[in-house]
Amino acid sequence: MQIRDYVLRRLLVLPLLVVGTSIIVFSLTRIGGSPIGIYLSHEMDAQEVAQLEERFHLDDPLPVQYVYWATGVLRGDLGWSGVAAAPVTEVFPAKLTASMELAIASAIVAVVLGLALGTYAGARRNRLPDHITRIFAISGASMPLFWFAILLLIVFWVRLGWFPVGRSNAEIFFSIPHPTGMYTVDALLATDATALRDALWHLALPAICLGYGATAIIARMMRSSLVEELQEDYVDAARAKGLPERLVLKRHARRNALIPTVTVIGLTFGFLLQGAVVAEIIFQWPGLGRWMADAVLRGDQATIMAYVMFTSVLFLVVNLVVDVVYAYLDRRVVLGE
Amino acid sequence: MDTRGRLLALLAGLVLLAAACTGASEAGDADAPEGAAGGGDAATAGTGDEGEEAPAGTFVHAADDEPLSLDPAQVEPGEGGETMILQVYERLVEIDPNGPDLVPGLSTEVPSDDNGLISEDGLTYTFPIREGVTFHDGTELDAEAVKYSWDRVMEMDLPGSAASLLIDNVAETAVSDDGAFEVTLDEPSASFLRAVVPQMVASVVSPDAVESNGGITAGEPNEFMTTNMVGTGPYRLITWNRGENLQFEIYDDYWDEPANLDLRIEVVPDPDVRVLGLRAGEYDMIETDPSFIGDIEGAEGVNLYTEGLLVEPIHIGFNLNIPEDELPEEDTIPADFFHDPRIRRAFNHAYDYEAFLQGALGGFGDFNPHYIPQGIFGYDPEAPVYDQQDTAEAERLFREAGVWDEGFTISVITEEANLFEIAALVLKDSLEGLNPNFQVRVLAVAEAQFDEAHASDPVPYAMWVKNTDPFADPDAYMQSYIHPDGEWGQIHGFAQGYENPEQIASLIDDAATEIDEPTREELYSELQNLLYDDPMWLIAAQEGIANAHRDDVEGFVLNTLWPRPNVKFALFDKS
Repeated sequence: MQIRDYVLRRLLVLPLLVVGTSIIVFSLTRIGGSPIGIYLSHEMDAQEVAQLEERFHLDDPLPVQYVYWATGVLRGDLGWSGVAAAPVTEVFPAKLTASMELAIASAIVAVVLGLALGTYAGARRNRLPDHITRIFAISGASMPLFWFAILLLIVFWVRLGWFPVGRSNAEIFFSIPHPTGMYTVDALLATDATALRDALWHLALPAICLGYGATAIIARMMRSSLVEELQEDYVDAARAKGLPERLVLKRHARRNALIPTVTVIGLTFGFLLQGAVVAEIIFQWPGLGRWMADAVLRGDQATIMAYVMFTSVLFLVVNLVVDVVYAYLDRRVVLGE
Repeated sequence: MDTRGRLLALLAGLVLLAAACTGASEAGDADAPEGAAGGGDAATAGTGDEGEEAPAGTFVHAADDEPLSLDPAQVEPGEGGETMILQVYERLVEIDPNGPDLVPGLSTEVPSDDNGLISEDGLTYTFPIREGVTFHDGTELDAEAVKYSWDRVMEMDLPGSAASLLIDNVAETAVSDDGAFEVTLDEPSASFLRAVVPQMVASVVSPDAVESNGGITAGEPNEFMTTNMVGTGPYRLITWNRGENLQFEIYDDYWDEPANLDLRIEVVPDPDVRVLGLRAGEYDMIETDPSFIGDIEGAEGVNLYTEGLLVEPIHIGFNLNIPEDELPEEDTIPADFFHDPRIRRAFNHAYDYEAFLQGALGGFGDFNPHYIPQGIFGYDPEAPVYDQQDTAEAERLFREAGVWDEGFTISVITEEANLFEIAALVLKDSLEGLNPNFQVRVLAVAEAQFDEAHASDPVPYAMWVKNTDPFADPDAYMQSYIHPDGEWGQIHGFAQGYENPEQIASLIDDAATEIDEPTREELYSELQNLLYDDPMWLIAAQEGIANAHRDDVEGFVLNTLWPRPNVKFALFDKS
């Protein structure tokens, strides 16, 4: 099957998967009870509560409530976020771009370092650099994120005062326009060095914190698949042809070793985006993760639904992209079979 | 990648690193990243950009939550928005920083019988309006603006707001011929001046700002006023960077003593980060509670203020209006379980107050009499208090009520992972330790789930835990939590349980309209004695104040009658 046909087929199935997921998620969130609580205050009397229930159709049967929710989504209305005290659609873009910025920065840290370290270690199997990389990778993968985050805070914020928490210095942040919502990108577009410095300065600690764990996973994957590839016959053939070791590594072994690593990178990005809860809370990063954690603690179901649906769609799309990239890298892969 | 590519990548990385490090080193010069003033040079605080003029200094407070609304007509009592309103808006009279006394605010005098600003029938209050006061939008304050602000709250009457404070008391507002603001009440009230006028809901807003941005619609919030503030106070709101911070600057044309420092309120939900930030000097003050005192006590450069008590006692409600078929299946109590005062007294005797006070509150708090908190007018230190676990008396009362041998299972609902849950767990330990036939199920749920149950009428649980709303006058506590026809009196069916509900109601009603303070005090004392024998609540404790701030903060003053964190930042300075 051609890549184009495969992508079209997957895209056609995507809406069905999204609807199915939404029904499951909607039912699961309602198991925890009615979402009315987030809209209430103890100042309200029973009549005001009943009015709210009627207004949000929460006195209707569950399937009817779902239809209201789904038609609202189709109209671009994801409900009211009690936690943010604003419509979900109004808050979501700002939170998403903040999280995207952090996830991209972390992914850059993870991919650049992970591939470099993995390649370096794989090409020097069982030698000192390989052992050092392994220790680095194991510590990154096994260190609890909250502990590492607090450690970074204590050293670089409290003790040394080198890096701040939060996303920005508000004064500088508001001094430039924000067409994309990603502070770093907006600073580049505005060609404002002060804002760029402020953005990177705030981004550094959370990106390192989040990226370190992912670096370890990517480095390990890259190393082991490179070691495997270097034992293949075609590598021996390349060496026998007299190709320099650098080219054998770069043009042959590394390219093939990248295939399983790309899958991991794709999944890692998804996890970075949705798994940033701890980092966002500790580093005061105003992204989706922090918003979601607050929503879960306070039972803000409209926000939870929006977030879960977003991550579901994200994973579906990322999986599709990974499959396509996979096929591109390895023509032997037969799509759709 | 070839060698050139590698070099380019390396160069790009170095540029980015240099950019980040430059930022760091500049902040390092000021010894205060992100413009935080703590521990550094206050003159450079508030900006990370050397190219801009630095403000005189910024006070940085780390709050645990973000406001839901900044509109006095919308904000819920006890909610984070009240803190901001206190700093930016002003009221006709204010609560003095050093105590419960009232002092003039936007009114030049506090009405009293002596100055003739309260009419002889006690119904009309006159407030002479201060001249030369301007709103942050440049318009001038006058009595019409005050009338507009009060009428606006009553007309909007937003659900969850404190509008009922005005609606339940005020019959009419007017502007007198000589430009004073006049309020006529429905009936004489001993609590009006204290319980209504200095409250956040009675703040004065700029009519021009409201009218230019959507005006007034009954029952509908004004979106502009929800996120913007146009008051007369010492601070002007600059930005609300949602999820991050709120920035305020000194209002230069303020009519009274101006603020010393700009103000930034950081939204920092994680308590550990707040503590770290305070210790690092990044925050000048943090929101905290007694359970974090151990992390702060003795820290270099930090002052811990633990004097006084919050006026929001933590209480466990007895539901006398139990919807029998809606209780959790495991519960075995009958619907009239709490109608018997012996059972309510037995619960109060059985509770291990010491465990809660010393454990959960780390000793920072006090026991509480029924039902007026310490620090509020009418509190009687001589009134009897449930402050010691008395298992013998509890057992006697449970036996007398006929529930000792058979036992019971009862559920208590609470928000999870906070002091309320611990208060419920102490109840569980206390009762189950007293008699193995007693089973207490602690249902710790998410805040929204709790709020849903709490707002139901009737409440579908026999017991629940929360703290009271903070009030400035005893009448508000009595009306909300004790009066048989009051808010909780009706929901929980107190009339079915009080031995003499008419007497309780009459004492509360008399005290509400009694102008003579000693007589009023006596009435509340009598009520507290009565309520000891006929309790409708189990009060676990009155939580102590725990305020942590840097030791270079000057002019620190805290008043529990102000909204949390009970301070006015404009009074502070830094050395």
